[in-house]
Amino acid sequence: MYFDFTDDAKDLAAGAREFLTGEYSPSYVRSVWDSDEPRDPAKWQQLAETGFVGVAIAEEHGGLGMGDVEMALLLEEAGRANLTEPLLETAAVAAPTLADYAPEAMQKEWLPLVAAGEAIIAVKLGDAPAVADADVAAALLVETDGALHLVPADGVSAKPTGSIDLSRRMFTVEVTTGPDTLVTDDADAIARTFDRGAVATAAWLNGIGQQVLEMSVAYVKEREQFGRPVGSFQAVKHLLAETVLDVETSRAATWYAAYAVQHDLEDRVEAASVAKAFASDAERLANTNSLQAHGGIGFTWEHDLHLWLKRGKALEGAFGTASFHRERVAQIILD
Amino acid sequence: MDLTPTPEQVTFREEVREWLEANVPTDLPPLESKEELPLYQAWERKLYEAGYAAISWPKEFGGRDADLMTQAIFAEEYARAGAPTRINVLGLGLAGPTLMARGTQEQQAQWLPGILSCDDIWCQGFSEPDAGSDLAAIRTTAVLEDDTYIINGQKIWTSQGRYADWMFALVRTNPDVPKHKGITFIMIDMASPGIEVRNIVQINNDAGFAEVFFDDVRVPAANVVGGVDDGWSVAMTTLSFERGTGLGSHVRFQRNLDDLATLVKARGVADDPRVRDKVAELHIRNQVFRHNGARTLTSLTNGNELGPEASLNKLFWSTMERDIFETGMDVLGPYAELEDPGLDGVDAKAWHKTYWYSRAACIYAGTSQIQKNIISERVLGLPKEPKMAAK
Repeated sequence: MYFDFTDDAKDLAAGAREFLTGEYSPSYVRSVWDSDEPRDPAKWQQLAETGFVGVAIAEEHGGLGMGDVEMALLLEEAGRANLTEPLLETAAVAAPTLADYAPEAMQKEWLPLVAAGEAIIAVKLGDAPAVADADVAAALLVETDGALHLVPADGVSAKPTGSIDLSRRMFTVEVTTGPDTLVTDDADAIARTFDRGAVATAAWLNGIGQQVLEMSVAYVKEREQFGRPVGSFQAVKHLLAETVLDVETSRAATWYAAYAVQHDLEDRVEAASVAKAFASDAERLANTNSLQAHGGIGFTWEHDLHLWLKRGKALEGAFGTASFHRERVAQIILD
Repeated sequence: MDLTPTPEQVTFREEVREWLEANVPTDLPPLESKEELPLYQAWERKLYEAGYAAISWPKEFGGRDADLMTQAIFAEEYARAGAPTRINVLGLGLAGPTLMARGTQEQQAQWLPGILSCDDIWCQGFSEPDAGSDLAAIRTTAVLEDDTYIINGQKIWTSQGRYADWMFALVRTNPDVPKHKGITFIMIDMASPGIEVRNIVQINNDAGFAEVFFDDVRVPAANVVGGVDDGWSVAMTTLSFERGTGLGSHVRFQRNLDDLATLVKARGVADDPRVRDKVAELHIRNQVFRHNGARTLTSLTNGNELGPEASLNKLFWSTMERDIFETGMDVLGPYAELEDPGLDGVDAKAWHKTYWYSRAACIYAGTSQIQKNIISERVLGLPKEPKMAAK
């Protein structure tokens, strides 16, 4: 048993951290918030050139040939950096799903395009009411009538709808499916795709939790009250100790779940629900405690903290809330 | 990441599982007084004869030289089999390894065989009434007369104190130097004249630990381990061995969670959404604990030291343990106070006992508040609280 990442994966994550924090500064994220323009295609292209988009795509299609496990590590970095691009949907959910289940012709058509940064794929599973980034997507991976379809943009009609996270643009959609858009109608394949989304979201949430924790630690070391840094007060220290406990332990559960999804282990459903339920709660705690540690300044629009708080809040509910996933676990252990 | 076990690990797990299935006694009464002790010692003897008493020990001392993964497999199978509580964990896990690291050959020959066979049960004499978290504040004195130390003072919270044949203790041999420097680590025969052991009855009506009083107790100077006045560093060696104790404990918690599920069904509340949510949450926490343990195990196997992150682990499981039993009492509801609620498959008496015991989890081995201080200062690097102004 070896519960750790390969050196390649660690190098990938280290490179990602450097690249993403450089490219996606809070001021860039704010510029996306403020802009009415669609996303800058150059940004996505650049992301593809680093190889991040093709992490879980086979080398024969132009990817790096890694899997969900390495993707999980990369998604943590995306969460830390507050990446505004739909890496999760396209690279972590759609690409491996197509590779696992789509007819060969569909794979040959789409996977090289995705790896090359020429096609973003949006994702809508289960009863999600809206889709992120449908306006820039070349296709939509959508669950409808018990089947999974890949619908090219000309079969998708998307209408913008407001969102609490201005960097994640949400759309309600209507789709036209046909026999040639079918990816799979196998129920377990669809369930595994959902699990994949839940685990990817968990990884992203862990990155957000880690980031707001570190921002809080830095803030309370500096901010003084009563002549001392507020970080020396036990009440404040314990807030952040509780946060790091849950965020740090959450990472291991998410990595295990990514492994379980990648290898389609027997306990895949349980592992995915464990990961998403715990990560959602851990991020919620980090979200709450970091705002508390920042005090009034954290509540202002000018301070950067809420960029992460809002993305975190949006993702707590994506691919199943904590209570949804706890109910899935309850079905396994009580029914 | 590769979570497939090696063929050797698979074989070892099967071997241990089969042996435990064939040998674990199912009719052992709870260990409540000295009367039940021989039954537990007989079980330890069986483990010893099968070569399972201390698989982590080096072969030359009667162990198997088992690596951490193998130790974890053994611990998991042991918990899964519901095998009896080990009664000599302080000897096998702390005294023995300390002797191997710091004792002389004569000392190793004198004590290790008895520890391994469990003929000698050991207790730890570190805590004192005014020296708990502040361990170096111990006051029990040892004064040298010819080649014998005369020991006076008191130890408290001594687990196994009422059964133990030997105690490894910290005593103050020099009051005139800084408090960490005048301490000596010494082995004390609990049958020595002048030792009085008083049981401390716990909240769960068990006498799990004791107070030990020393009145001119004579101990050979040859029983000092490490150097005179160098006991602090020996004690730190001992405490460093405590890190392994969490191996496989997720399996024990899984048994508690299985009991909780039985209780939920027996109470007919398996459809109550609040109960489902809470029980699932606890199950999720134990899975997280399991995965995190696997991660730590790999890290230690890779040669990394377990640093202040150990406090994250302690804080996590102790809170979870308390919450599992608290939830059980909540599920029992109005039946919680009854010794026999008449529910199928529910041993309320055992549940009550472990419930009260679980309340200690957030206190012993460093309270939750101490753990949070360690985490915030040593993991997150937050400033220490200012010291009180000197009076």
